[in-house]
Amino acid sequence: MPSEIDLAAVKPYADHRGDGLVQLSFTLPVPYSLAARKAALELAAKMGFDEPEVVHYEQLTEGFTYFVMYGACAHTVDFTALEGEGFNIEYMTEDEIERFAAEHVGRTIVVVGASTGSDTHSVGIDAMLNLKGYHGHHGLEGYRSFETYNLGSQVPNSVLLAKAIEVGADAILVSQTVTQQNLHVQNLTELVEMVEAEGRRREMILACGGPRVSGELAKELGYDAGFSKGTYPHHLATFIVRELAARVASVG
Amino acid sequence: MLLSELTTSVRRLALVGLAKNTGKTETLAALLRELDAEGRLIGVTSVGRDGEERDVIDSRIEKPRVRLGAGGLVATTDALLSVSGIAHTVLENTGLRTPLGVVLIARLRERGTIEVAGPSAAEDVRAVSDAMLDHGAEQVLIDGAIDRRAASSPAVTDGLVMSTGAVLAPELEQVVSLTAGAVELVRLPLLEDPAVRALALGEERGRRGSSTLVGEDYDTLELAARFALSSEEADIAEALGSSPSAHWLIVAGALPEPFMQRLLRARRGRDGELVLVVADSTHVFLSERSPEWYARQGLEIRTLTAISLAAITVNPIAPQSHRFESEPLRAALAERIGEVPIFDVLDPDYISATRATTAPL
Repeated sequence: MPSEIDLAAVKPYADHRGDGLVQLSFTLPVPYSLAARKAALELAAKMGFDEPEVVHYEQLTEGFTYFVMYGACAHTVDFTALEGEGFNIEYMTEDEIERFAAEHVGRTIVVVGASTGSDTHSVGIDAMLNLKGYHGHHGLEGYRSFETYNLGSQVPNSVLLAKAIEVGADAILVSQTVTQQNLHVQNLTELVEMVEAEGRRREMILACGGPRVSGELAKELGYDAGFSKGTYPHHLATFIVRELAARVASVG
Repeated sequence: MLLSELTTSVRRLALVGLAKNTGKTETLAALLRELDAEGRLIGVTSVGRDGEERDVIDSRIEKPRVRLGAGGLVATTDALLSVSGIAHTVLENTGLRTPLGVVLIARLRERGTIEVAGPSAAEDVRAVSDAMLDHGAEQVLIDGAIDRRAASSPAVTDGLVMSTGAVLAPELEQVVSLTAGAVELVRLPLLEDPAVRALALGEERGRRGSSTLVGEDYDTLELAARFALSSEEADIAEALGSSPSAHWLIVAGALPEPFMQRLLRARRGRDGELVLVVADSTHVFLSERSPEWYARQGLEIRTLTAISLAAITVNPIAPQSHRFESEPLRAALAERIGEVPIFDVLDPDYISATRATTAPL
């Protein structure tokens, strides 16, 4: 990284370092007019953009105007305070994962996954587990070191857990669309609590995934890891083999 | 009486909420203020994450900060300790990994605000709590997360403060009713029959033991593995058929609602009651019907160890939504629940009581 960048005061970078330039687009529920353009400029200034500029605007439909704007972001963030947050993982490739698993785990790793509760989306879990995978990265099913069970969608927590215990799962993977309503969140916490009630929490890795799932949310929910958009199967596999190896090491 | 006075004899105190934004962390912050004013040496950990600036799901919601006095003990991650900027001494590296880093136990050398994220697993929570007691903490406060209650198991902590609030439902009466249901669950009656207790405690020692049907004459029938998790109605009917005098069912592990429903159907046409025995109420997962409802259908739930519910705190405000008047909500809860003291730690009356008691001389 070039030394001139002040990591304690980071801002966007377009044409030159520190110009803060941002492109943004939005729609206002007002008629296409010069007044609409002025409203957009005023709004961008309130958002904290210096020298906002409307580069394009057009009528979307009667009474609605769409804008594309540039502005210089007036704010900075202190990146140095965030680097220690602990989510910087170096991911392994599939080959590295297979070698690492053979060397540090030394047996087949069993993963059971499902979309639980009323969630009908199985896309996430399929992408992670099924051979077909996603964006040219095949799922854990295709790894020699993994044995996977994909139970599909709308699986009750008790059924998922029963299967995990039956096959001696090392990890349970749950996919869930988290919304601001409590419902989905409570379904995720219920699984963790059931694993506790079964006395298996220390021997099972619990991972959850979904569009809004972060490491912070995973921690609150009681999971060992959380995965969101942009996660590929080898990201998940890297986490599981490293975590298992760490557990094997701390027991042995 | 203040919340801290009421809970003073509880060495490991669990704070559990019935949902997000019921005011667990406000309760923790109030307890810490009161205990700090008394000069008590306190240890703090969280099964989730506490003291962050904004809510993890809805960033419009600002969260209360966690302030600890000098000398206070904390179990939190290496990253959060270093970001806090507070001078501290690391007493132990627990080696416990969380999505936010490895959990350390530290003593703060100065007063300060810190984010707390300790271990998640109940056994690990117990271990770090005991470690903080060994390092001299007079009391350890364990904050919950969302609606997680595993840390309130008597195997982990000695008492519980439950947080409820407007966020549970849009109508006051619904909030009262949902809270009363949760209290009923926490205070499930103990199993009294000594012979069955002995049998169940034998199971409990094994923990992995199978669920067992126990007859009137204490004859036992061991059931298939994972019986309460995955058995079908026909399996249950068959088990009940081969143990016609069954009066108790010792449940190994979790008791989920789908099992209760199948059990009801499998018992159709049978007389008498069946008593389900669980380790403690954190093993019971009911979201549709209350224990009392199942009792009316002939299914009683009994525990081997009781949870001591010390107090309830109420947050009358649902962030970004609705709010109730604090006093009428507390009054309605008190009338319905009885016995358990109810607090709103942000109510002006409570705050002035705190000041009166803890003001420096």
